[in-house]
Amino acid sequence: MAANMLEATELKKPHQRVIEIRPKKGLFDLDLYAVWRYRELLYFLVWREIKIRYKQAAIGIGWAILQPVIAMLIFTAIFGYFARIPSDGVPYAVFAFTAILPWTYFSEAFRRGGTGLVDDADLIRKIYFPRLIIPLAMVVAPLVDFLLSFVVLLVLLAWYGIMPTANIVFLPFFLLVAMVLALAVALWLGPINVRFRDIKHTLPFLIQIWMYASPVVYPLSMVPERWKLLYNLNPMVGVIEGFRWALLGKASPDFLAMDVSLFLIVLVLLGGIVYFKRMERFFADVI
Amino acid sequence: MNDIAIYVEQLGKRYRLGANGQQHNTLRDLLADSFQSLFRRNGKSSARRQDFWALREASFTIQRGESVGIIGLNGAGKSTLLKILSRIVEPTTGMARIDGRVGALLEVGTGFHWELTGRENVYLYGSILGMSKREMDRKFEAIVEFSGIADFIDTPVKRYSSGMYVRLAFAVAAHLQPEILLIDEVLSVGDLPFQRKCMEFAKGLQQADATILFVSHNMFSIKTMCSRVIYLKHGQIQFDGPTDEGIKHYEEDCSLSTLSWTESKPEDWPIRITDFALFDEDDQAKKVFEYGERMRLRLCYQARQLVENPNFIVAFIRSDGVACCNFSTEVDGVIIERVDGDGMIELMIPPLKLVAELYTIHILIREKGFQKVLCAQIGSTFHVRHHLLDTHFGVFHEQAQWVWTNNQIVDKKMAVVHK
Repeated sequence: MAANMLEATELKKPHQRVIEIRPKKGLFDLDLYAVWRYRELLYFLVWREIKIRYKQAAIGIGWAILQPVIAMLIFTAIFGYFARIPSDGVPYAVFAFTAILPWTYFSEAFRRGGTGLVDDADLIRKIYFPRLIIPLAMVVAPLVDFLLSFVVLLVLLAWYGIMPTANIVFLPFFLLVAMVLALAVALWLGPINVRFRDIKHTLPFLIQIWMYASPVVYPLSMVPERWKLLYNLNPMVGVIEGFRWALLGKASPDFLAMDVSLFLIVLVLLGGIVYFKRMERFFADVI
Repeated sequence: MNDIAIYVEQLGKRYRLGANGQQHNTLRDLLADSFQSLFRRNGKSSARRQDFWALREASFTIQRGESVGIIGLNGAGKSTLLKILSRIVEPTTGMARIDGRVGALLEVGTGFHWELTGRENVYLYGSILGMSKREMDRKFEAIVEFSGIADFIDTPVKRYSSGMYVRLAFAVAAHLQPEILLIDEVLSVGDLPFQRKCMEFAKGLQQADATILFVSHNMFSIKTMCSRVIYLKHGQIQFDGPTDEGIKHYEEDCSLSTLSWTESKPEDWPIRITDFALFDEDDQAKKVFEYGERMRLRLCYQARQLVENPNFIVAFIRSDGVACCNFSTEVDGVIIERVDGDGMIELMIPPLKLVAELYTIHILIREKGFQKVLCAQIGSTFHVRHHLLDTHFGVFHEQAQWVWTNNQIVDKKMAVVHK
């Protein structure tokens, strides 16, 4: 009897009552509240991503650590050792790793956010849920990898005897910028990828170009002065410089440029949400 | 509480098709095409666009606790209607209002992940279907018990047999406890036992006063489940009313329609079936046959050109798609040298040994040696009735010769067998 009562109240939850289905009118018929109602699905999708990522791999989650470490070793050997690119007075390995960390997160979030819809095509074809949940989950899931490699970074810093500065408290802010940026771009690319699978093949190049347009393997000081203004508009410049500033006590990022790029990110994000919601209506038809 | 569970008004879904129904699948195609169209005269490009209304101006109201069957030929808009009501696709026109928790059994098990264990998939799938974690925690034991695969619940789903997989997925879906259930039997995979389970589940819900919208090609299940049917034809509601009457309309339209798997167009067929009817031995027109009864089948054909050595084939297909038997003039050694113009074929089927179920008759005409298909049509459906024998007993039943021997002489007999 008690169980029945519980059932009854559950069924009467307001969000499970009357549903109205009609063609969407206007650009701003966004119904973002639906995403909130489905927050548990977001949790389970993130959890699924984390669970399946390294399944049936002998060293499992170890890959989350190994990947950035190998990238660091390669960069250190090629750019630090052979090409002798300056690293602003810190060991090149540390210099590179502080950038690889946010960069790896960003590129993963961006890549998976862009292709996630197509990877879950079956779900989209067969079951209703707010489609925004997918890019959201894809952007959140790589945070786990980030946290693991962050531990590696702390070990690396300790190894070189470098003490992170007190500005480390601002680190979450820079991470958040990377996250929102990845989401904003994914909201544009995801729907295009649903229609044209070309995006999937374009993404690796896009990510590579973006990486070389960000101070990952070289310091910001190497960028010619006349290009700096334009260069700084790349939000990842602020993020990476922010990481180096917070962890290594390097020069603070250009906060003015960052404000501008934050403004741009918000614009791209809002536009992305509107665009995504507009395209969402056709996902099940064309995916 | 409102008594209307589903209210649908002027609901429509339009699809845009390019010429020949093709779409641009890569960006390159689109760019190339747009580029070409720059050099074409105005208007030509827009003429290539074709609108296709999968569903058009559908309006109906379904009361709480009602079970309504949706019937129609392939492509009539049944699945589109269900997809709109389950919010997978957006309608182009009109509106629908649904009052109650919706459960959609469109394809059971979508959303399962191969790499995850059964336990993990229960949670994942449940959350995709809209259950809260708390709800799943509470129902987990019941779900596992219902699925009957408790021993494998911590095994990755990729090691499951397809039967286990479907059972687990279905168990989750069943525990959603929907007030409004949308079932698409056409889409849902599954063998007969599974379909039966589906039906039992739906009947249970029916008793609990749930509202059911049921898409099926199986008129037998429609009849047992629903007192009302909506018959869709070319995307429009053709009939909405009592089941028997609706099914009659449907079967009239269904008769002699083209089989969906044929590649050739009916217009190109050199020969086609123009009339078809079923009778019993005494020439009484009939749709329901007793097990063991004989069936007389007459079909009229019209050959638009001379056809040499046509091979007439009549096949019985069970409601779940299993081809049960096949009669062919060629196999039975009947030689029809050539046909031209109109004619009639009659065949007398040996006593029906198929178990009780619904069967559809397919009629094919092939070239000699089972080559090219000249014509492929649906004849009609019929039922076999038997008080006991149904698909639990297999496809057909034929009496065997049994000999019983008492204990004393068994040793002797077995000795003979072993020698």
